[in-house]
This record gives sequence, C-alpha cells and structure tokens, in this order.
Amino acid sequence: MKALPPLVVGVVAIVAWQLTVTLGRIAPFILPAPSAIWAELVEQKRNVWEAALASGTNALLGLVAGALLGVLFAMAASRFRPLAEVSIPFAALLSALPIIALAPILNNMFEATSSIPRRVVAAIIVFFPVFLNTLRGLREVDPIHRELMHTYAASGWTFARKVRLPGALPYVFTGLRQASSLAVIAAIVAEYFGGLQDGLGSRITSAAAFTAYPRAWAYVVGACLLGLVFYLTTLLLERLAMPWRTRLIA
Amino acid sequence: MTAVVVEHVTKVFNKGRPDEVTALSDVELTVGDGEFVSLIGPSGCGKSTLLRLVADLIEPTTGAITVAGKTAGKARRDQDYGIAFQQAGLFEWRTVLRNVELPLELRGLGRAERRARAEEMLALVGLADFAGHYPAQLSGGMQQRVAIARALAVQPPLLLMDEPFGALDEMTRERLQGELLGICAKTGTSTVFVTHSISEAVFLSTKVVVMSARPGRITAAIDIDLPARDEAARQSERYFEHVTAVRQALRGVPAESAP
Repeated sequence: MKALPPLVVGVVAIVAWQLTVTLGRIAPFILPAPSAIWAELVEQKRNVWEAALASGTNALLGLVAGALLGVLFAMAASRFRPLAEVSIPFAALLSALPIIALAPILNNMFEATSSIPRRVVAAIIVFFPVFLNTLRGLREVDPIHRELMHTYAASGWTFARKVRLPGALPYVFTGLRQASSLAVIAAIVAEYFGGLQDGLGSRITSAAAFTAYPRAWAYVVGACLLGLVFYLTTLLLERLAMPWRTRLIA
Repeated sequence: MTAVVVEHVTKVFNKGRPDEVTALSDVELTVGDGEFVSLIGPSGCGKSTLLRLVADLIEPTTGAITVAGKTAGKARRDQDYGIAFQQAGLFEWRTVLRNVELPLELRGLGRAERRARAEEMLALVGLADFAGHYPAQLSGGMQQRVAIARALAVQPPLLLMDEPFGALDEMTRERLQGELLGICAKTGTSTVFVTHSISEAVFLSTKVVVMSARPGRITAAIDIDLPARDEAARQSERYFEHVTAVRQALRGVPAESAP
C-alpha cells in the first residue's frame, strides 16, 4: 500500500486548506476554498475539458516534433564528432534562455488564429533535454560491447541500431520525462503572450481578469491534471519500451 | 592446418611518444588444431595484448598473425573465432536467447535457424530454461555461461577467452572449467585462454605458455599431459608436478634445478 501515505497527506492538506479559508475568512481573491474551486470545476467541466484538449494538442504536437528532432540531431551529433563539439555548447546556451519569451515574437510572425506559435515554443523547449540526454546515452557505450561488435565485423549502422540506440533508451526517456512536463507548461504559458485564445492559459488569464478567482483556479486544476497525464503517459511508454527494466521491478 | 600462428610479433603502444611501452617483444606462438593453450603471467606481461592481437582488436607493430590460414583481419571478418571476456558483456536489453542469437543475426542467418542454434548452445551451457530471461535477472556465473554460449554460437573453429572466469567464485569457476572442457572436446574447438591462475591453466590446457613482463615475452611453453580432466585429476600427482613446473617457470627458475 505505497499509495496510502501520499493519499492521506493530500486529503489532510485539502481539509486544512478548506478550514483555513472558511474559519479564517480569507478573501477569495487571495485564496478560494477547495469547495468553491470544485464547484467551478464541475460547472465548467465542459469548458475546462475543451481548453485542456486545445492546450494538450499543442503540447503533444510540440512534444512529438521536439523529441523527434532531438533524437535525430543527437544521432547525427554522435556520428560526427565535430558536430557534437559545436552543437553542445550552443544547446546548453540556448536552453538557458527563457524560450517562452519567444512566444510574442512568434505570435507576430503568424496569423492571430494560428496554433503554430504555441506548438513551436513547446517543440523548442522539448528539444534541448531530449537532445542532450540522448546524445549522452549514445556516447556512453560499454567498451566490451564496442569490441564485441568489432569482432562480429558489424558496420557502423548495425552498431548504431543494435547497440547505441537501445543502450541510449534510458537516457532518451530521462529527457522525455523532463520534456513532457515542459511541453505542457510551454503550451499553456505561451498563451499569456497572445495568439489564439482557446487553451487553458488564456482561460486562466481571462477568469482572473474578471475576478472570477475560483474559476481561474478550476482551470489551474485542469492544467495540473493535463501535466500529470503527460507525465504518466511518458512513464508508461518508458515501461513498455524497456521491458528488461520493468521485469526487474516486477 | 594450425589454428593460430604468431610470428615475430612485437607490439609497441604510443610509439615515438614519451609514454612508449613495449607490450610484446618478438613473440612466437603456435596453436595446433584442437589444442587448448593457456597464456599465463604476471599483470602487464602482455597476455591479454597477445589475445587481442589474435582477435584483430589491435594490430601488431611488426610481425604476422595467421588465424585458420588467413590473416587475423580476414579471420575476424569471417567470424572464424568466438570471444569471451572477463565481463560477460551481455546486452541488457536482449533476452538471454537473443544475446546468443546476436552473432548469428549479424552473419545473416534466418530467424528459425538462429533460434534453433541459440537454443542448442544454451542447452550446452545448461541454461535452456533461462532463454526468456534478461541478463540482469541472472547471477554472474550464469551470465558468463551465456557469454560462452554466445562465443560458441557461430561454431567457430577457435575460441579466444580473456580471463572468462576471473570474476567468479571458486566453486562456480571449477564447474565452468569442467563444462568448458566438455564443450571443447565435443566440438573440437581450439582455444587460447588467458588466465593468471596456475591451477586453472594446468587443469584446462594441453599447453601452458608462460610469459614475463617488461618487455612482454614468452619465457616457457610447458606441455601438459593429464590422463583425464576430472575431479580426480585435480588431486593427482601428475597435476601437482605440472603446477610446480609452471610456478617455477613463472618465477624464472629452470625446471631441472628444482629441488
């Protein structure tokens, strides 16, 4: 029953929150009660669902595109050493920039009804952790495996396919796990800077602007759930992709 | 045809640099068909280097190496030998069966034939029941047996082993020695075996090649003839005589002057 302790803590926290707000007469614009947020969530569930769907689609497309590019670039960089030497410092530098700040610029580059800017932001943010982790995994090959493949007279491509890639999978998924949460954050926060207003980010800002704080919080809960879905799906994929690890846990 | 011929081989690492090392100096070695030759010597004597030269993992500075009548490079590309190292070096993402299948896969064998051959090899090392397991689920000794099965999978005429039992406990080690001898006898494989255990070398080999360090060279080659290779042989007079002879050769004492 490993799930029990966190569950208990969660329930206690929500009860404490509820009691603090009602007994302490805290104004809803500072902190609404969980019961009020829940009531909003139930009432708005259709809107929350649709907004989450829009943000989720953007995050997913960004995640897939960014991850594919990250893995492909890492493969190229691991194959051609000079490329890695040039690209790693660039990647490290670029990933330190607040990429989310690109959103307003991208919004101006495309039409106001375009979903592309948010997806591009998500893809760029996803790219770096996937690229850097995958590259590290591709480079770390057990010397014995290298020698064995040499004795088998295996070509470079065979070596990459049968040894480098499967060996790098744990690293790829470390990158993806970070990236999955980042993609959701990027897709939601990018909406704060304009562009098409159909996702969770814009709902949160507009609810807050109308002082409908419990409603804003209801959308925040939706954003939490969306992030959770992304993270858990990545974990599930990781298990499916690496049965040799799963079986050890089981 | 002889399995391995090493002629006047010298290996110098980092040639022309301040950290130049002569790992092997003018080495001559012949391994006949079906022979089991052990290379023994202190660390740094170049025994592993010699094995890696035969495997064409590194190239000699001077001299020539012939494996199964071909150059070492050609023999490697033709997968004329199987190799096992001190670490099993299994691929953790492949099941035991698919680990053994890998060299066959790279040879382009069909799926069914691959599977049949790998299962046969696993049965040979007594791991038929573990075909579907992943390496991490096996003990060290079992992993090493999988590595040996993998080395044997292409049914190579030559087996190269670099301290394959070095990391195992004494009991597992002795059991695997027995199994290895049985396999080699059954398949007629020639073997070059690197070890630093005198008893292991004597028990397994038809010839023990003694090496010394700085520069690495062969100082003695001792023929071992034991009537049988079983548990009784480990206790026999003849066995201990050979162990003594090898020990003296390692110390640099000529065998005749021994007390």
